[in-house]
Amino acid sequence: MIRRPKHELPVIPTANLVDIAILLIIFYMACSNFLSASSARVKPPRATDLTKQKEPLVVVTIDKEGAVQLQGRDVGGPADIENAIGELIRDKTTDEGRTVMFKCDAGVSREVFQPVLDAIVQAGGLILAVGENIEK
Amino acid sequence: MRKRFQLRQMNQDAIPTTSLADMMFLLLIFFIMTTTLAKTTGFVTDIPAGATGKQDTQEKTPTVALHDDKITVNDTETMDVAQLRQYVARLRLDQRQGDAKVVIVAASGHVSYQTYYETLALIQNAGGVVAIETEEDRK
Repeated sequence: MIRRPKHELPVIPTANLVDIAILLIIFYMACSNFLSASSARVKPPRATDLTKQKEPLVVVTIDKEGAVQLQGRDVGGPADIENAIGELIRDKTTDEGRTVMFKCDAGVSREVFQPVLDAIVQAGGLILAVGENIEK
Repeated sequence: MRKRFQLRQMNQDAIPTTSLADMMFLLLIFFIMTTTLAKTTGFVTDIPAGATGKQDTQEKTPTVALHDDKITVNDTETMDVAQLRQYVARLRLDQRQGDAKVVIVAASGHVSYQTYYETLALIQNAGGVVAIETEEDRK
């Protein structure tokens, strides 16, 4: 009687797959920026020679309806913005800490955005004006 | 007999982790689909705060006036963005020092942020420092 050797199918080890998936999830959770200003509908202005910038912690947004948001929350007049930004950057000594990201819709009129820019300047902030880079 | 019962009991107490991988992959797909590894582009500008003063120097500070999306330089020449770029390049702001780098940007009437932004970006990229003149400063 001839015994045939048993041929077992090769098994791919999947025990560590969950660990890899968890690591990837942690990576994506850490890298995702659920921006506080994400709800605002902003079409950024376009210009040439814009460079990549590091995102600061303070974000001011003006959407196309002219609604001003600081850190994703509606704020009142320029005086409120100045006070709030002043509070946020009070202890910051570096330029990086003082930088305020300014996202404004391209179609917004001067009467809306200029008081906000003035308020940031008066609060002692540096302005990171966000725009979309276009090729020359 | 009792030992076998204990073993069976232990096996039943274990947390079932077979569906964990499925859940993890669902979450992973969610994060992959929703994540935008955003690259912020723009420019950083340190706009000087304070009111405009009278000029003592011989050389006049260049002024770019924006009015109803029209660009006027030094209250005389009306330009488009391309001409303004050439004008700013001729000023060689990057080779200047201190206050000589300053270009005053004054906006009045209806000016869109697009025009304003392009002007600011242009001056900033040429090595200049933008000073904003508001209507209150002019009064």
